[in-house]
Amino acid sequence: MSAASISTGAHAEAHTHHDLVDEKIVRWYFITALIFLGTSMVAGILMAMQLIRHNPLNGIEIFSAGRWRMIHTNAVAYGFLANGFLGCLHWSIPRLTLQPVFNKHLSWLIYGAWQFVVGATAVGILFGEAQALEWGETPVWIDPVAQLGLLLVAINFMTPIARMKGPMYVTLWYFMAAFVWTFLTYAMGNFMPQYYVGGTSAGAVGGLFIHDLVGLFVTPLGWGLMYYFVPIILKKPIWSHGLSLVGFWGLAFFYPLQGIHHFLYTPIPMFLQYGAVVSTIAVELVVTTVVINFFGTLWGNAGVVKTNIPIRFFYTGMIYYFLTCLQCSFQVTLTFQKIIHFSDWVVGHAHMVMFGVFSMWIMGMMIHLFPRMLNRPWASQNLLEWHYWLSTIGVGFMAGDLILLGVFQGWSWAALEPWDASVDFSYPFWVLRVIAGLAMFGGLLAFAQNIRLTMQAAAKEKAVRA
Amino acid sequence: MSHPKMSNSAEAVAVSSGPSRGGRSAAWTVTIVLGILILIPSMLGFVMKFRELMAITEGGTEGGFAITPVINYLLASSGFFLLLVWAALNGMFRDLERPKYLMLENEQELDRND
Amino acid sequence: MFESKSGIVFVAGIGFFALAFVSNAFVPALMYKNIPEKKVEELITPNLRYQFEDLARRFPESFEKAYGTPPEAPEENEKWWNEQCATALRRGHKIYVGEGCWHCHSQFVRPVSNEEQRFGPVSRSWEYQNELQRPVLFGTRRVGPDLSREGGRRSNDWHAVHFYHPLDLSEGSPMPDYPWFFDGSPDKPNERGLAIMTYVQWLGSWLESYPYYESYVPSPLVKPEAEEEAGQ
Repeated sequence: MSAASISTGAHAEAHTHHDLVDEKIVRWYFITALIFLGTSMVAGILMAMQLIRHNPLNGIEIFSAGRWRMIHTNAVAYGFLANGFLGCLHWSIPRLTLQPVFNKHLSWLIYGAWQFVVGATAVGILFGEAQALEWGETPVWIDPVAQLGLLLVAINFMTPIARMKGPMYVTLWYFMAAFVWTFLTYAMGNFMPQYYVGGTSAGAVGGLFIHDLVGLFVTPLGWGLMYYFVPIILKKPIWSHGLSLVGFWGLAFFYPLQGIHHFLYTPIPMFLQYGAVVSTIAVELVVTTVVINFFGTLWGNAGVVKTNIPIRFFYTGMIYYFLTCLQCSFQVTLTFQKIIHFSDWVVGHAHMVMFGVFSMWIMGMMIHLFPRMLNRPWASQNLLEWHYWLSTIGVGFMAGDLILLGVFQGWSWAALEPWDASVDFSYPFWVLRVIAGLAMFGGLLAFAQNIRLTMQAAAKEKAVRA
Repeated sequence: MSHPKMSNSAEAVAVSSGPSRGGRSAAWTVTIVLGILILIPSMLGFVMKFRELMAITEGGTEGGFAITPVINYLLASSGFFLLLVWAALNGMFRDLERPKYLMLENEQELDRND
Repeated sequence: MFESKSGIVFVAGIGFFALAFVSNAFVPALMYKNIPEKKVEELITPNLRYQFEDLARRFPESFEKAYGTPPEAPEENEKWWNEQCATALRRGHKIYVGEGCWHCHSQFVRPVSNEEQRFGPVSRSWEYQNELQRPVLFGTRRVGPDLSREGGRRSNDWHAVHFYHPLDLSEGSPMPDYPWFFDGSPDKPNERGLAIMTYVQWLGSWLESYPYYESYVPSPLVKPEAEEEAGQ
């Protein structure tokens, strides 16, 4: 063991940050991610405006709310989350392993290919070519390209991890799993129901896909990055590395097969549904260990949350994560499903996890990394505060609003009230949702403005020096 | 390559996990009582559900399929179990807490080299 | 890798994991192997043919523009109608998916929450064993009602007007307008409009209960005159 540590030490001296990390690609990924996030939010607002019957673009084919609703979810998953994560991976994997990625040209090829995939998905959806698979609406003719892209991503990043000597840090465990799982999940979700299985069994696969995309692509990357960034910003190690590995293996044991809980009470065989419910509740226990670990790390340094914006983003995300998972362990039970299935409860849940957790984390990491890459502090602390508060309050408000509304809708349907009644009383809730959405969008605008100001200042400084 | 932080935390752990003998036996009693309280109903539940499953399996033409999800979970879990064993055989858990210090040291060294 | 014990364990681990993924998809498929998947041509029932021919009667010009005229000979005529109906159904399904209808309308009736009373018979596995449920259109959200028993409940005229501008018929509906299914007005559906109407009328056409109406008890408070006014 000591020999391994000496060799790693020697590596650290041989490598400098500059050799390891291609900062340019990180920056490009981040900017692209934010552009897609903006697109997605505009699409979401469009759909929300449609629900309150004030869509200014109603009746124009290319701006049809139904199509833009698909743009909304796909741009977030593949445009924002994937690009944001890839940017962070290009920073963290080389620094963790002290090995550069497999090939820097390949990195740029992947960057280009991925933007092609996302762009083509958007165009395909806009022209009515969607595939009937939630979150997999990517037209069938793009699926193979996306699959190839994922393979290349795995090769590019697995190589430095494989070359590394010595015991692995928990982040790398998560990353390795994520590369394998994402590849498998995408293949399973996009090809199986389209070509091999039909009917309700395809429903089982579809449920597995929606769920595993969150649990096996977004979750491991998100937590892996948290395990990396939180200790280095706090400048102290994670509370317990052993506990973090419990969290990882727990995710591995319980997560992969619980997707059917999205389709309870469908004609999918009941015993498959029971299994999904039980493993979902089990995963909540795992989540608790992870959250405890992070709060254990923060213990004694809680004041940092006030002063350090990235840490504040991270821990807010973790609180939302705990809430979502707690909510999840209730909502998967058959009792809850009776009422809340098909209602806005689910929409609130999805926003809380995708924006409240993972988007907050990615934005926190961007806030941490941009100043390092530009070699100067943020132009405006004020705008950062605005970004944080608008995002946090916006998403909390939206999730609370929709979750409550979901319960009302479910009861109204079960009580056999006329269908219109459920639409009518939803109206004020939907108006509030638009306002919350606009707040979140405002947060993004504040961030974008801040990036612009900081980059301009950096460029000016460069010009003065030259 | 000394670990000042590690030795600190090791001491802290030693302090916190070393209560008096009386405290320890009380903790054991609580653990055993809780264990019994939790295990008996859950075992009962498990046995009942298991018998139910057996009954489903034996009856009806499609009964055999009731086992498939169970097998599925077992397959996935044994896959992960073997990976866990692999990791353990490769010594990845020999010094469980070391990677977290190593990671921070690497970071600091990279920042210094920069 | 294979020479060491841990290498074998590693490969076995990945293998088991992959096996679980495969079996999770294939086992449900095996379960329903006794229910063969139907082609679109096999889905055309007299119920649907009635609706499709009704479209031809109501919108003769549009229909002719989209599908041409049926041949005279009775045998060919029958075949022609079925063929055109299948084409329309396929096209309608593609539109239903492409417009994202399935994000606001589910297609399955659950055995809980009184859904049986509201929407009709609970969904069964065999109903989904066909080409038009690939990938399956269970849906995840109901902004509007479930559609799996929608066929036949409303006339083609109603659907035409509703697709053109939903608010004209359902007060407070958040459904978007679909004017691109029409050539300028609701009485002139284009090929897409005819296809999506065929698809909607097909939903539930395989059931005994077609068309399904929820039990309707007239409210004692509404006077006949008021009803007449509402009808106009």
